[in-house]
Amino acid sequence: MTNKMKNKNLIYKGLAVAFLTGLSFTNIGCSNSYLDEVQNSGAFSTDSYFKNEQQSFSALISVYDVLRKYSAGFENTVTFFNAGSDDFYSGGGSSSDGAGIQGMNNYMINPNTMPASYWKDYYQGIARANLVIEKVPGASMNEDLKKRYIAEARVLRSLYYFELVRMFGNIPLILKSITVSDDYWNIPQAKPGDVYAQIENDVIAAIPDLMMTPASSDKGRITQGTARAILGKIYLYDKKMPEAAAQFAQVNGTPGGTSQYGYKLVADYADLFKVALESDPEPNKYKFLSESILEIMHTNKGSSDWGFWGQGKDEGNSINVMVGPRSYSLKSVPNNDAPDIYSGWAFNTVTENYVSFMQGDPRLNVTVFNAKKLVAEGKVIYGPAFADTGYFLNKYLPTNALKTSLPGPAELNFRQNYIAIRLADTYLMEAEALGASGARAQALLDAVRTRVGLPSVPVSLQAIKDERRRELAGEGHRWFDLVRWGDAPSKLAFKGFKANKNEILPIPFNELPNTALKQNPGY
Amino acid sequence: MNVRISRSVGVVAVLYFTANFSAQTSKAKDTLAKENKIDEVVVIGYGTQKKSNVTGAIASIKASDIENIPSGKPEQVLQGRAAGVSVVTNSGQPGAAATVRVRGITSFGAGSNSPLWVVDGIVVDNIGWLNQSDIESIEVLKDGASSAIYGVSAAKGVILVTTKKGKKGKLTLSYNGFYGFSNASKKLDLLDATQYAKIINEGFVNDGQAPRFTNPESFGKGTNWQDAIFGTGEKSSHEVSITGGNEKSTYYTSFGYFDQSGIVLSDISYYKRINARFNSTHKVTDYLTIGQTFAYTHVKSQGISANEEFGGPLASAVNLDPTTPVVVTDWSMVDPGGYTNPYIIRDSEGRPYGISRYVNNEMTNPQAFRHIQQGNNNWSDDFVGNVFAELKFLDHFTFKTSLNGKKSYWGSRTFTPKYYLSPNFNNTNFNSLNKVEENKFEWSMENTLTYQNKFGDHNINIMVGQGVYRYNIAGGTSLTYSNLPIDNWQDASFNFDTSPDNIIAKGWDGIETRKASYFGRIIYDYADKYLFTGTIRRDGSSKFATNQHWGTFPSMSLGWNVHKENFWPENKVVNNLKVRGGYGVLGNDEMDNFRYASFMVSGSNYTNSSNNIIIGYAPSTLENPNLKWEQTSQLNIAADLKLFNNFTLTADWYKKKTTDILRQINIPGYVGVPNLPWSNVGDMENTGIELELGYKKNWQDFSISVNGNFATIKNKVLRLEDDIEYFNLASFQTMGAVSRVAVGQPYGSFYGQTYSGVFQNQAQIDNYVNANGVKLLPDAKPGDFMWQDNNGDGKIDDNDKVNLGSSIPKYTFGLTVNMSYKNFDLMMFAQGQAGNKIFQGLRRLDLPDANYQTRILDRWTGEGSTNDNPRLTRLDSNHNYSWMSNYYLQKGDYVRLKIVQLGYTIPQDVTKRFGMSKVRLYITGENLVTFTKYTGYDPEIAGRNNSEQDIIGVDRAYYPQARTFLIGANIQF
Repeated sequence: MTNKMKNKNLIYKGLAVAFLTGLSFTNIGCSNSYLDEVQNSGAFSTDSYFKNEQQSFSALISVYDVLRKYSAGFENTVTFFNAGSDDFYSGGGSSSDGAGIQGMNNYMINPNTMPASYWKDYYQGIARANLVIEKVPGASMNEDLKKRYIAEARVLRSLYYFELVRMFGNIPLILKSITVSDDYWNIPQAKPGDVYAQIENDVIAAIPDLMMTPASSDKGRITQGTARAILGKIYLYDKKMPEAAAQFAQVNGTPGGTSQYGYKLVADYADLFKVALESDPEPNKYKFLSESILEIMHTNKGSSDWGFWGQGKDEGNSINVMVGPRSYSLKSVPNNDAPDIYSGWAFNTVTENYVSFMQGDPRLNVTVFNAKKLVAEGKVIYGPAFADTGYFLNKYLPTNALKTSLPGPAELNFRQNYIAIRLADTYLMEAEALGASGARAQALLDAVRTRVGLPSVPVSLQAIKDERRRELAGEGHRWFDLVRWGDAPSKLAFKGFKANKNEILPIPFNELPNTALKQNPGY
Repeated sequence: MNVRISRSVGVVAVLYFTANFSAQTSKAKDTLAKENKIDEVVVIGYGTQKKSNVTGAIASIKASDIENIPSGKPEQVLQGRAAGVSVVTNSGQPGAAATVRVRGITSFGAGSNSPLWVVDGIVVDNIGWLNQSDIESIEVLKDGASSAIYGVSAAKGVILVTTKKGKKGKLTLSYNGFYGFSNASKKLDLLDATQYAKIINEGFVNDGQAPRFTNPESFGKGTNWQDAIFGTGEKSSHEVSITGGNEKSTYYTSFGYFDQSGIVLSDISYYKRINARFNSTHKVTDYLTIGQTFAYTHVKSQGISANEEFGGPLASAVNLDPTTPVVVTDWSMVDPGGYTNPYIIRDSEGRPYGISRYVNNEMTNPQAFRHIQQGNNNWSDDFVGNVFAELKFLDHFTFKTSLNGKKSYWGSRTFTPKYYLSPNFNNTNFNSLNKVEENKFEWSMENTLTYQNKFGDHNINIMVGQGVYRYNIAGGTSLTYSNLPIDNWQDASFNFDTSPDNIIAKGWDGIETRKASYFGRIIYDYADKYLFTGTIRRDGSSKFATNQHWGTFPSMSLGWNVHKENFWPENKVVNNLKVRGGYGVLGNDEMDNFRYASFMVSGSNYTNSSNNIIIGYAPSTLENPNLKWEQTSQLNIAADLKLFNNFTLTADWYKKKTTDILRQINIPGYVGVPNLPWSNVGDMENTGIELELGYKKNWQDFSISVNGNFATIKNKVLRLEDDIEYFNLASFQTMGAVSRVAVGQPYGSFYGQTYSGVFQNQAQIDNYVNANGVKLLPDAKPGDFMWQDNNGDGKIDDNDKVNLGSSIPKYTFGLTVNMSYKNFDLMMFAQGQAGNKIFQGLRRLDLPDANYQTRILDRWTGEGSTNDNPRLTRLDSNHNYSWMSNYYLQKGDYVRLKIVQLGYTIPQDVTKRFGMSKVRLYITGENLVTFTKYTGYDPEIAGRNNSEQDIIGVDRAYYPQARTFLIGANIQF
């Protein structure tokens, strides 16, 4: 090899070595910091959250989110408890459509068929409320707003515990957020009396910090009026009648008038269940009426989809699709004035017993949709499904005109709000708490009846029970009323209700293993 | 909870017979003892090794073995080629991937059980883009010792793919192509319309109601829905490759086009792929070599639900009632009221497609369904490549650095028109156009330094290396425009101006994973007789908390070439004998990110009274700061023998134990978090034996080689979290769980109720009492199953479920025979499995009007009619049809003649005249015949989607594999 070539070789060798060493050093170091740099994009570390008002409010919203349990998702409490009452059957596509709701209908419900979400979703709401109560005090924001947020979380937590205790009876009482180092497997069930005492005290403490009247965008939030109504209801179920009556008196004010919180019975009963079209100039004109005390807001703007149906992002009302008749269609006959109902899944078919009970009552047609009659008149056809009676729950029956105009399946994007507590309900609850006797109780009962044009009847516990059945049918209260009055074993015997067992639900099967929980008796 | 654990040991034997057919056109004589084959070289991690010196369990598959398999999907060529490697096609749909398992299911926790795929040193997240004809060799590193060099993610086995690099020599141009037709090899026996009407009537009558159909005979045969979905599919492929080189450079380039349409509704079930590749290596100087590989793949496809009971054409064809016509031609046979909607689908002559009056939900007329799926497709573009440089210095050292990368783009485009297929399945509100676009980039850099030397009879090779890896740098968007002013997919476009209310846009960012590694290996042998390999790898992963990042994974293996010993007698029986054994520890970190800390995530939203949605934040789960690597340790003991000069036998025994399996664990609901936390819980074990037997013999004009593999696997779950006995696995419709992962049993065993026959009369029901004299089934009627009280507690409920069989096959086997005679060659490949059960869930339990298979004709009709099948009932209060039991399980044993290929090579003197050095023509038959007792479409049933890959053996209307006939040609210039 010539010298020249040797030199060239050397140069090449040198270059190659330099190139390769350089290349290998561009390797990012293999150290811990290199591995630690990865970010969890789109999420906040819990330890450093709750810095300011915006974050605290976002966390409070997550507590409100669980209010959807009344009316969103397939496993919503309204259709579930309607199915257990004497006013409705479960309905559905077949006797096996929805193991939970069918089990409520025939009282074969057991730990395996009890849907776990009724237990888990409320506890998620409670855990989120606990976090807000603990962490918001450390945020840098207006002190009064802080107190208000904490008060709202307290009331919501009490509401969720109230739902849990009247559903399951024996539940663990958890008042602080659980961390990984806690012994969370060994939390025992609390006595129902302790749960009631805790939630009553929480609401009482919270009331002064809540708003009196909400701004127009805050009507769904917990105000003093809402909190008192919730407290009254809690007292009523806890059999503390004088305290209940006192709270309701604040909420109700003068029977038939406007209370201090602005609550007043609406003139037309049917308005409570109407929904304006999206194309109306006022599409939300039937929402948050004067009678509404606790109302769950639904919208089609969330474009709910099957993938997250019933979960945090789902903002639609699912009761609507569940109660419609199956395969419903109008026949092409002249002058067909039958309503164009959206075909649904035929749940909560109305019992004949309820229809005959309601004969002559002006609220019958608002509550019950008589498909049987329309079929006989040759105006419509529909596909009878399980436990079909020809009668459907009209209050939440959607028409085709109400289908969403935004993207998303129509079934999941209905906009009707659900009113969880309204003035007529608190009127009757106060009358009951007053012992169903006395002038005020009479006035309260009369006000509810006068609104629909019915004459007065003498007040008595039976009269109040009947009035509740007429006024509030299908809104998810009847089952709890029957159990509360002790009438469930007799009224629900035809469905198989067993005394000393079915007053509370079984704790879902998967919640028991390795915990200190004991299943409810009889299951 | 009382669960009786019956110790049924599942032994899975995987019997693979791989026949290596080497097309030999030479007429070499007397190839016995004088045959001095060049010692085969096997690719091991980061290097190569002489096959005779390999101490690990490595299965090696050469290009010639797989060249002519017309599968279209690279992982499918592995089926039946190596003992211990099981490949199950995910469905018969064109483009369907296959589920590959090396030595069974390693873990039931984090991530999938698929092995690690390494192509030319690039770790890739999937293999669908690879052109099978570009493969030079595949090595499967089965045992711990050989795969430990890959540390992380090596727990499930490693498959090394080496692509063709070109050879020194003249430029060679080759063309490979084939074309053929496919058809369904099997259809189900479903009831015809008259039988259906009679059966439905009987269901009503048995429940005390009036029958529905007044005149069943009037329906005649009715509609055969399977005929409405099955058709002829086509399959074709064209490949051109160029290879060449000189002393300085070698290169290989190829282009390919593959096109397959399915046997079910072929216009909406197809797969088209274009491949291109360019590989080259250059010796810049004596001591510096550089090289690169680069591949581009474009895929366009469309598919239907391949194994799903909730809708899709297959489930519809099985469940729809035969009394509904495909197209309405006779209005007296249907209810006109059901066809009033303006958006019903009509055929080209304006007649509406039939809509069932009784079976709705997600079941729809498949021909009508086809219309609304037109024009939708999925697409993907993959770019995979690497560059490397190798520097030799000081005679014995080699330094190699390589930079690897993969960039993928993929997405879909879907147009949903306004349609009405049934009262439950319609979209009459507005149409919508959706596109999804996703991308992912992964790259890595590795450096290795190797020292190789020979001191007398001692050979030593030491390698140290370092690597950095970044995965899942990804993101995507989805965009939907609704209410477009057109009504068909050809006119649909995103160029239409659309009001903001009608636009939904979503995006997401992937969370990156970073890994860092150091590794080293020593290979030592003494005179090719005593062999030793030891490796160690230290990996850090960003998936764990700061103090848990790192894991160390060592391995060691030894070998002894006994036949090289002086004391080994020369004999004609055992020519070669090598015994080897190894032990390795590997890791796994595949799980969701950031589960070691607590985070507030969005999504718990609520709407305010001004109709505005407010985003709510809540903790997503309980964190676990102690999360660490999952570990798999494996012991392998084996022997390789050459017998009688023509036989080769390899026998391996292994035991693989996975501990600290990463799983989401159940915590009480009252803790109040929506997502379950992760923890290291659970152990599982796989033990097995693998046998490979080969025979090869050449005579003058005739040669034959036969290879068979046989492997057994015994899978056992050892431990689950918090001492629980089991958790439920596969569920089916409203039946609930049908299989479990139970301690002491194989993964995914079927659990259900048992019955001791059918009640023939009321007296039997009354006499069926428990120890206290209480009737066990008081509501039963004659014709119902006599459920057994297996746990003896006096009642019949969920606690009486027992183990009904394993979903994992006990034995898998394959046999390949290659023969050549003069210019003809014949290849036959058969594979099968045995010892597993299949759950047949074809009929919708919640639709009482769904159609039945003819098996229902054996139902109980009266005392003494049958003791195996219950009576027909719609209410089914005794749960005959709605409880999981042996009624739904069948044996999944099968043997399938998968490929038969007959080829003829035109004599070279003829072809040379036209400038072609080799022309081979062949015909191939795929899936010609399957021997099985299973009554469903296909006994080879994989999991139904990516997240349920190991939930096998549940048939939910599985898209069957097709019988295909192809003709093809290999031409070389």
